Amino acid sequence: MREILVEHLARVEGHGNIRVVVDKENVREVKMEILEGPRFIEKILVGRSIDEAPDIVARICSICPDPHSVACVNAIEKAIGFRPSEQTRVLRELQLISDVISSHALHLFLLALPDFLGYPDAISMVSKYGKEVALGLKVKKAGNVIKEVLTGRSVHGCTVKPGGYTRVPTQEELEKLEKSLAEAMDGARLAVDLFASFDLPEIFREENMFMAVDPGEVYGFSGEHILISNGERRPVENYRLLTNERVVPHSTAKHSYYQGESFMVGALARILLNRGKLKGEAVELADRIWEKLDPKNPLANNLAQALELVYSVERAIELIEWLLDHGIGEPRGEMKIKAGMGVAAVEAPRGILYHFYEVDGEGKIARADIVTPTAQNAANIEKYLRISAQRLLERGVDNLEPHLEMLVRAYDPCISCSAHLVRVVRLNE
Amino acid sequence: MKPKVGFYELTGCAGEMLHILNMEDILIDVFSKIDLVEFRIASSVKRPERVDIAFVEGSVTTEENLEALKSIREKSDVLVAIGDCAVWGGIQASTTGEDWKTLMKEVYGVEENYFRFLGEHKSLSECVKVDYELPGCPIEQDEFVRLFIELLEGIEPKIKDYPVCVECKIREIPCLIVEKREPCLGPISVGGCKARCPYYGTPCIGCRGPVREEANVAGEISTLVEKGWRKEDIVKRMELFAKRYKDIEKLVEVKK
Repeated sequence: MREILVEHLARVEGHGNIRVVVDKENVREVKMEILEGPRFIEKILVGRSIDEAPDIVARICSICPDPHSVACVNAIEKAIGFRPSEQTRVLRELQLISDVISSHALHLFLLALPDFLGYPDAISMVSKYGKEVALGLKVKKAGNVIKEVLTGRSVHGCTVKPGGYTRVPTQEELEKLEKSLAEAMDGARLAVDLFASFDLPEIFREENMFMAVDPGEVYGFSGEHILISNGERRPVENYRLLTNERVVPHSTAKHSYYQGESFMVGALARILLNRGKLKGEAVELADRIWEKLDPKNPLANNLAQALELVYSVERAIELIEWLLDHGIGEPRGEMKIKAGMGVAAVEAPRGILYHFYEVDGEGKIARADIVTPTAQNAANIEKYLRISAQRLLERGVDNLEPHLEMLVRAYDPCISCSAHLVRVVRLNE
Repeated sequence: MKPKVGFYELTGCAGEMLHILNMEDILIDVFSKIDLVEFRIASSVKRPERVDIAFVEGSVTTEENLEALKSIREKSDVLVAIGDCAVWGGIQASTTGEDWKTLMKEVYGVEENYFRFLGEHKSLSECVKVDYELPGCPIEQDEFVRLFIELLEGIEPKIKDYPVCVECKIREIPCLIVEKREPCLGPISVGGCKARCPYYGTPCIGCRGPVREEANVAGEISTLVEKGWRKEDIVKRMELFAKRYKDIEKLVEVKK
């Protein structure tokens, strides 16, 4: 019996370990341990005004503050019965896309690519792959400058409020964004070429289940229903059923199962479930690389992210043009406060993010519940760790660690997110 | 020889690390100046050796955090706390004073302390000697670069201790307290952010923590009270990012 411990799980957000216990021939135990400390975010929200809520939830995670703040205001508005303007809805879609662009670019070029090229980090790649790193940083920046313009900064923006924004971009700012996005297209295309050129190890292949938000007619990152790869379509209000959680003692993240099975959320799930809603260059690219987007292999999530990068850059330009055509109106609508409850789902770069709030008659948060994508993926990550560790043992591979790390990294986990929002922990069941 | 530099995370959102990685235009230049010893979110490199400078973000929340911080302190010549979690304990420290077992039960459904939670979220300076503090949630990129260069060049860094109001006035932003009766924390929050939030039309939420010298507090605080905001509400807002500052109440007392 021996224990394999990947203790320094690097190039992912947050602090986690992979622990695998094996005897001579078999994997006995697999754990993805989440080592983040508890932050009690849901408790901090209680008693705070609905205006403070988006600022607080943004602080859950620095890589996805935008999905958190957008899901938050969407859910609060549902709770109080407010319908945001079309301009606000377009700005929020643009904000979600900005996070997809910067997060995917960070993950693909800075966190995942070093695995495939055999480097410890992107900085060390510069001497040989300077062009790739430079183009990747350009894409990443294009996402971040949208965040800076819309929300004030690339981490924990300050303008997102129930009712709309506290400031809306000027025409000049929007035109600048369009330019930086146009310049990011080459980098986005390069991501597709690079990740389509890598062969994915067979050891990770297995049947899987997927879930993604149904964005409606056009591929996007928010919606009112969840699509499941078994053909079901459910309203987001069913989120508790969809993320039926079991909590495991080794992790501060709850594990999600649906009908007894683990499932995967994220770019691969979105592309597989919403391919027909893509537009522009991404349609041809999807046709060209389709057989590489193997539903059985979670490592295909990298390529799915690359495809989404191309789509997102184009879609962001389209949304900016919509704003320029329609002219910029009032930043924020007038709201009437009333007590109520609301659920919203958005797609964070790494998968579905649910926010639920109960608001009281004074406009304060009475109850909050948040289910993050990495918490949903945790059980699926362990399923694939177990299968691949077993196969590696059978093939006589001794050094399992790099393979297992690469697998976990493909899910682009956000461990801060998953850890801080465990709600029900039952150790003794 | 390039200075050895490590970047370390305790409990938080990795926001400081990400904000450093978000300086795309100068990222490669910044890292070419140093011998990187650790930066978990961006690199597999992890070397246990001594470092010239350690940048540490996050609060000291678990026993593991405390052990890690002590070992970083032991092996670092200069230790810099970066971000609100490291400087003031972060928003999680706004739960200071509440019974942690109750919190654990309410949020996680158990009372068992399997996080090895210390019972409260501490700032770095409560646990070890800290050489410099860079406030903000997140830190300002330009302030980080300045401090980084100063440390590399051996220049003694200057610490800011004037309120956000000063920068608001320089940028000629209409006062949100006077004009809109908004509960802006600018008068008692430390500047350096170029009054970003007021510029973006929203009141300061105090994410950079309090001005420490009472004498530096801006007179607008009395306007806030005159406009009908209760002191306890102002204190509660300030506590979101700096509950572990013992003298918040005193800041609000300052009249002129």
